[in-house]
Amino acid sequence: MSAIILLTLIGIVFVYSAGTYWGKVHYGNTAPFLFKQLIYLGVAVAAFYVVSNSSLLRMEKSWTILYIFSLLLLIAVLIPGIGAVRNGSQSWIAFGPLSIQPAEFAKIALLVKLSFVLARKKSTERTIQLIHFVLILLPAALIMLQPDFGSAFILLVSSFALLFIAGYPIRFYVFLIMIGISGLVGLIMAAPYRLKRIEAYLDPWSDPLGSGFQAIQSLLAIGPAGLFGHGFGNSRQKYLYLPEPQNDFIFSIIAEETGFIGAALIVITFAVALYSGYALAVRTQQLSYYYSVAALISMLGFQAFLNIGVVSGLLPVTGVTLPFISYGGSSLMSAWLIVGVIWNFTKRV
Amino acid sequence: MWATKSTKKRMQWMWIVFVVLFIMLIGKLVHVQFIQHDLLTKRAEESWDREIPVSSLRGNIVDRNGKLIVGNKLAPTLYFMPAQNDKPLEAAKELASILGVDEQVLAKKMQQKTSIVKLAPEAKNISKELAEKIQQKNIPGIYAGLDYIRYYPYDQLLSRLIGFTGYDQQGLAGLEYQYDDLLMGKASAIRLFTDAKGAALPHVQDSWKEGQDGATMELTIDVDVQKVVERELSQAMEKYEADQAMGIAMNPKTGEILALASYPTFSPPSFSKVDSKIYNRNLPVWMTFEPGSTFKIITLSAALEEQVVDLDKDHFFDPGYSMVEGARLRCWKREGHGSETFLEVVQNSCNPGFIELGRRVGPTKLQKYIRDFGFGKTTGSNMAGESSGILFSEKAYGPVEHATTSFGQGISVTPIQQVQAVSAAINGGTLYQPYIVKNLIDSNTGKVLKSYKPVKKRQVIKPETSKKVREALESVVALGSGRNAFRDHLRIGGKTGTAQKVEDGRYKDGEYIVSFIGFAPADDPEIVVYVAIDNPKNVTQFGGVIAAPIVGQIIEDVHDKVGITERKGQLEKIYKWGDVEKVRVPNLVGQTKEDIAKLQYPFRLEWHGNGSKIASQLPKADAQIGLDGIIHVYLEK
Repeated sequence: MSAIILLTLIGIVFVYSAGTYWGKVHYGNTAPFLFKQLIYLGVAVAAFYVVSNSSLLRMEKSWTILYIFSLLLLIAVLIPGIGAVRNGSQSWIAFGPLSIQPAEFAKIALLVKLSFVLARKKSTERTIQLIHFVLILLPAALIMLQPDFGSAFILLVSSFALLFIAGYPIRFYVFLIMIGISGLVGLIMAAPYRLKRIEAYLDPWSDPLGSGFQAIQSLLAIGPAGLFGHGFGNSRQKYLYLPEPQNDFIFSIIAEETGFIGAALIVITFAVALYSGYALAVRTQQLSYYYSVAALISMLGFQAFLNIGVVSGLLPVTGVTLPFISYGGSSLMSAWLIVGVIWNFTKRV
Repeated sequence: MWATKSTKKRMQWMWIVFVVLFIMLIGKLVHVQFIQHDLLTKRAEESWDREIPVSSLRGNIVDRNGKLIVGNKLAPTLYFMPAQNDKPLEAAKELASILGVDEQVLAKKMQQKTSIVKLAPEAKNISKELAEKIQQKNIPGIYAGLDYIRYYPYDQLLSRLIGFTGYDQQGLAGLEYQYDDLLMGKASAIRLFTDAKGAALPHVQDSWKEGQDGATMELTIDVDVQKVVERELSQAMEKYEADQAMGIAMNPKTGEILALASYPTFSPPSFSKVDSKIYNRNLPVWMTFEPGSTFKIITLSAALEEQVVDLDKDHFFDPGYSMVEGARLRCWKREGHGSETFLEVVQNSCNPGFIELGRRVGPTKLQKYIRDFGFGKTTGSNMAGESSGILFSEKAYGPVEHATTSFGQGISVTPIQQVQAVSAAINGGTLYQPYIVKNLIDSNTGKVLKSYKPVKKRQVIKPETSKKVREALESVVALGSGRNAFRDHLRIGGKTGTAQKVEDGRYKDGEYIVSFIGFAPADDPEIVVYVAIDNPKNVTQFGGVIAAPIVGQIIEDVHDKVGITERKGQLEKIYKWGDVEKVRVPNLVGQTKEDIAKLQYPFRLEWHGNGSKIASQLPKADAQIGLDGIIHVYLEK
């Protein structure tokens, strides 16, 4: 828990630092993101409080409803007029000044619902397995339609991690990897912009102003920082070199200002959070809770890995936020909701 | 209890997967932040850089006394940052009117969407006054970068040695090119902090990136000596309508080159107006040709060192030719010099006499001396484009080759090699490597970065032999074929040379290179001066007539600058010959023009009519005329 609070604090501080100039140029205000992020945090903590104490959420029925509700939201977001397009993906639904990303909530609903289903029946039966896959693939397909490859990927990987923990046979994963590879090829063929991202990943310098731009700007932030970084507030790349530095690429700015030490510290903090998550999972009183906690904490881990992997050039560019740290209401909210659910399920009643 | 062993185990596996993944992240961070650190820093700086370059000063080139030969003068260049001016068209208009350049061109450049535009060539190296005027207009986004161009206080002086610089002050030819690394400074810059779009960040301090001025290059050249040499050569160029002229003045005791000149020459800022051969060829080190009689000094030195001749006592009879393996090698004086001492052989530059000297030394030893005197190899003067010349290979070196080599024909050498060799012959016998760069000095601290000292290559002949060579050569000037170089009390010694030009391995008809190598004073030489005039016209093509007076004049004009005081005990010009300033006119009738030119008469000849065969002459053969007299020669076909 303290690891998560630390991450959130780091997030607040760097959303301010990274977003200052971007905010000034684009919104005429040096701290628009900090201000909003503090509001989001307030809402998120309130949501955490509600979720962690709700006895309703300890029942499977509630999650069935939430799962169906999130599917409806995912459909709604695809309807023009309701869903808003940002950066080429129709992933947001606006409620007045705030906007939410249904996919963020669908991921939670799916994982918990799936956990309940897994806990109830023997998972070796084919028909039961079929149900599992339908549960997973429905939201995944809807998210893919937006298209939001990052969220869909997280959702799939977390689900498969859950199935793995629930005792799916190893040969299934061998099969899955093969499916994954062919699926990747299919995805690339379906949307050519992804191929560009892969190209940019393999050699970002081949097209430094086009597809490799973000990857390069990120590396130019991280690389020169060295061991100690340029010091807090001294990032150069946040001056419009790195687009939306308070968002997906906030880790670059953190690494730029605090160097390898700061960057490694964040990775280690995530590892600590992950470890305590798994430790908490063992303390749950039901198999369904155990699965849920393990799945949700794994999801946070994958998300952190994917984000930092992208930012440091280990993985091709995918739009995944860094949990607790990146700017954005949905991202922060969903992270805290996850913590709330974990908190709720690990309580000894 | 819900938890089975297997589900717990699966979760442990998950944890291990994450540990591996996170270690990969840390590994990647190490890779990016440490291994790629320098590369990425360089690239990041390139991407951040908004620099207004401030040219550092290119190193000055000065002479041995610190006199400026090449310097710099201020000529700013304008830069424009489009992000800081939202009315580029107006700015372009205003600028164009001040600079007097095409407004459209400027406007096009200033509307580019880049961070910084160098307004070149329209506003490159503009005058200081113009830059100040523009600065006063306060046009947003316009910056004047300090920039310099080369400044030549003596205009053409030394240009074929020094070369010139290009558009960005990079050395393109000559010493400027050769020593570009050291002369070129590192540009300073005002580093502006801007965001990615080029807008200034007011709260961040702009910084100053310190560059470094180029090193000052101090030459061994003495500008005063150089000026005299160039004046004399340019006069000769004009007077004789020569193709080319070259000269070297060197301190024989150190190898320091005091003057080095080539003609025709050019003004460095307008190098593009002349043929590239002019600025690419530094004649005194590049050009190779048959040395002719100046080479006899080498044969003489060898003969004296080997003690195979006593100049005063040994006599030689010159019948006008010498037979070598059935080949008749003629003396310039067809009827021969008759009986003469070997000193007179030297004074008369008598070819058969030198063939005899060469014969006495022997082919192997003569070859050794020639190589010891530095021929056949570049001198190591460290001037670009130096040639090594051509000697006979050992296989091809037969008796005829040995004979012609003895009087300087059939081989090919550079002027600098001759100066190097003759310096050794007269300085006491030590071969010094000629050099032209004395010091390279850090312009800011005055620290000497690189210093060149005299390099003794070897002792070629004994000091006593060298003394004899000096005396013999002094007598050539006082009494023999070099008498046009005589200057009272300066004790000049020297030797004339005339060589037919070779093109594609064959002698070129009627084209000669006349030369003279002189030194002074004969008792303790301070300077060696070599002058060669390529293809002089309107005059007899003899070194004694054309080149000797030039060398005499140069030595007379520079003697006080190189520390030569008037000497006593000189060999009086009239001492031996008395009034024999008059000599008998040789018989020229029946010979061809070419024959005569080859034979190196000390007289001035004036040619009349067309053709190659000589029909008659005035005065007639055997008449007496003064040494300055003119023989009129009438040609027929």
